[in-house]
Amino acid sequence: MCSTSNTGRWNNRCVTGKMTSPMNSVRAKFSSIAFSITLMVGASFGPAISRSLADDVSVSARLTRPQINFGEMAELQVTVTGASRADVPQEIPVEGLQIRLTGQSTQVQMINFKVTSSAVYSYIVLPLRTGRFTVPTVPVSADGRQFRTASLPFSVTDPGVGGGSSPPTAGLPQQQQQMIPPMPGFSQRQVPPPRPQENGRVAFGEISCPKKTIYAGEMVPVEIRYYFDARYPVQIRGKVDFGSEGILVERFPDPKEGREERDGITYNVLSFRTLLSAVKPGVIDIPAAKIDSEIQMPGGMPAGFDDPVFRQLLGGQSPFVQARQLAVKTAPLHLEVLQLPKEGRPTSFAGAVGQFDIDAAVPNPRVAPGDPALLNIKIGGKGNFKAMGAPVLIGTDGWRSYPPSDKFDSTDELSYTGVKSFGYTLIAQEEKHQSPGAEFSYFDPINAKYVTLTMKPLPLEASPGSGGGAAAATTAPASPTVTQPQPTPPKAVVSPGDPIPGITLHSWWTPAHRPAFTIISLLLLVAAVILGGILYLVDLQARGGTASSRRKRRLAELFSSLTEGSLDAASAYEAALEYAELVAPPSEKRESLIASLIQRRDALKYGIGGTVALTAVERGSLLESLRDLSKN
Amino acid sequence: MKRLPFLLSIVLALASIASLLASPAAPAESVGSGGQTAVEAKNAPKVSAGGEAAAKAASANTSLLSGHPIDALASYTQLLDSPQFARVGSPELWCNRGLAEEKMGDPAAASLSFRRALLLDPGFVPAQQQLAVVLTTLGLPTPSARMSRLFTMLSPEVMILGGAVLGWIGLFLLVVLLVRGPRRRGYIMSALLALLLGHGASLIGSLIDPRRSAEHEAVVTAKKGPALRSTPADSATVIGNLAPGTLITILSQNGAWWYVSSGSGKAAQQGWILSEVATPLLPPSCALPSRG
Repeated sequence: MCSTSNTGRWNNRCVTGKMTSPMNSVRAKFSSIAFSITLMVGASFGPAISRSLADDVSVSARLTRPQINFGEMAELQVTVTGASRADVPQEIPVEGLQIRLTGQSTQVQMINFKVTSSAVYSYIVLPLRTGRFTVPTVPVSADGRQFRTASLPFSVTDPGVGGGSSPPTAGLPQQQQQMIPPMPGFSQRQVPPPRPQENGRVAFGEISCPKKTIYAGEMVPVEIRYYFDARYPVQIRGKVDFGSEGILVERFPDPKEGREERDGITYNVLSFRTLLSAVKPGVIDIPAAKIDSEIQMPGGMPAGFDDPVFRQLLGGQSPFVQARQLAVKTAPLHLEVLQLPKEGRPTSFAGAVGQFDIDAAVPNPRVAPGDPALLNIKIGGKGNFKAMGAPVLIGTDGWRSYPPSDKFDSTDELSYTGVKSFGYTLIAQEEKHQSPGAEFSYFDPINAKYVTLTMKPLPLEASPGSGGGAAAATTAPASPTVTQPQPTPPKAVVSPGDPIPGITLHSWWTPAHRPAFTIISLLLLVAAVILGGILYLVDLQARGGTASSRRKRRLAELFSSLTEGSLDAASAYEAALEYAELVAPPSEKRESLIASLIQRRDALKYGIGGTVALTAVERGSLLESLRDLSKN
Repeated sequence: MKRLPFLLSIVLALASIASLLASPAAPAESVGSGGQTAVEAKNAPKVSAGGEAAAKAASANTSLLSGHPIDALASYTQLLDSPQFARVGSPELWCNRGLAEEKMGDPAAASLSFRRALLLDPGFVPAQQQLAVVLTTLGLPTPSARMSRLFTMLSPEVMILGGAVLGWIGLFLLVVLLVRGPRRRGYIMSALLALLLGHGASLIGSLIDPRRSAEHEAVVTAKKGPALRSTPADSATVIGNLAPGTLITILSQNGAWWYVSSGSGKAAQQGWILSEVATPLLPPSCALPSRG
């Protein structure tokens, strides 16, 4: 079984961490063969392991203590089993509780070539008030699928009112109670210690903790050292198994390797450093920190090889080694955990324990109207950076602020010292000339008292701009309780950051991409053309048709009146003249006929016989000449 | 009888207004992706928005207000993934979903939701403000305040539809005046002006409409900013990094890789990223017919 803090490293960690003595080359060859086989096995089964990890994903959550006293802390563990990759929220919002992710550990187990992995995400639960709570379902995204844990009941009691805290194991399931470590040293007495070799020890461990009495939430650096006799090759199996109910152990960085001489024996030393914190007051006995190893010990000669000459040829040493599985342990660690004092606790205290300093900056002291301003507050020092809450802004009247973003830059590998930056986004609701101030409280475990740091407001020019008023105007239509916008100051119907009521529907497509818009536009174009045509025809009809049709109609009328003989002679020649002008285009023949018609008409009109009808002969001659002209 | 052409043109213009204004909520495609008919696609959201969907949204809002963003987010997601919101969207729902994601500590996803709200209604001030806040938190440049104010005053949708209506009225009047008269220069010029101004405004509205280019845009939603690579391969040289919440333009695709560009001017950068680290700006359910 390999235990590590990083899922991506577990396989690597299983096959590395090997310390080889330079003395025994033959043994080293055997060790390297074993190492190569381990690598080949790992490479061969890697894909299969990955596939099997993706199957049968399960998610669960549990509280280490379902009931605590106010001022104590509990731990929420979210376990994801069978997933190669999981994503959990950094913070779980519960009113009256502060639940923040503090770390992750992963366990990978191979039984009969079936691999299961469990990632345990640890949240620290800090109560802000007493009462009964429900830790909500935690959404977990594992291998691209969504899971949820069950909700958990949780209660915080006032130690001065109710009978105090429940026992640490009260309310825990039976399986969990079995996991509670035994009394310090008990397990060591059951397991015989490693057999000393040649007046020394093959391997042993030591643990050092600078403090034996700590406060709940206080981070304490711990160093675990494992000593291995440098004469024998060693292969480390897995990582350090260290922890207990009620404490949080941070991720182990890569160990440091060194050499040290004890009692005349040279040891290879693996040093692990980490941070430890307790979540509940009381006495805690942390079992020995254990690491599994395989030590290549010299073995006896098999039958047929136990010959002095043969042994001399091999330099007096046996070429055969015996692999011995050894769990190297330190002494158990006894800690007394004190509760953070209730007296003198500032209202702005949000779980920070350590020694800190505060600094602040406004990156852009002059922002455009309506634009958000940024206030960066930096908390530097040493302590429990992961569990600390954000500084509390003061003097926020006229500002709209949002929950800050945070970023931690550690200056050591343990994340014990460093600077945590909180970025506050602020939007001015009125004309402002300085930023809000801030207050940050922490508990100093050295001086055993609360300290409050105050940051004064910084120069910052900001104004609401036109967007604030527009916000009210825009959100107003969606609200059923909309009121007329007030002249000054603009008041939003919906508070900023609150959900917008109502649903209005909009298309994801622009009108140009909507078939309806295109079809309607084409139909309107066709309608415009049809309208133009209809109007033209109506106008034409009103004007009696086209010129050609009007000419034809007139010609027919004139010819008809000539053939009927109803006209007198002058009128008949008048009609003949009009007919001749209409029936043919200008030509010599037409002009000649028109001239003769004019002459005859004038003679009849101004002479004698103009008022009587034409003779049949003359009318026939006239019609014949007109027909002749129309044929041309 | 002499006024018949004018009456006819007014009736046609009014019909065009009614048709254009009735069309924006839902495209009148015969069958939607989820098997919806045009009538269903147009009517279903309107009916449901006032009933079951509105009740669900109100319930999710209550969860969000009472400090349960996980439940609220689940409700918003379920609502927005339902078939009734496949072709149309609600800026309020997307904005509220962004608020829930913001409270869940996922500003990159929140920025995507706020951008989707602004895609539906570019003048939606709460989404504009929340997007500015989220982008500031992520350390990204905020959208131009001038454009935001412009969209607040004049919606591209209104410009396109209102301009089209004005343009069509101008065209009908011009036809009547030219064919039937009175052919007075003042009247004809006025009708011509209405035609040009209306369709010009419609064209400008189409050009500034953010939905026009949204088909090729995406937002980096990975919590850890992905690396931009020179070629579509895991082993390719890293030529830059994209911060979570960055708006990117997809220039081309190669399997699971996208060739993208981000930023402008000196901050512009182009390279390959894995498509899984970003989410298209348009929800998959509302892809244009040309994209399938």
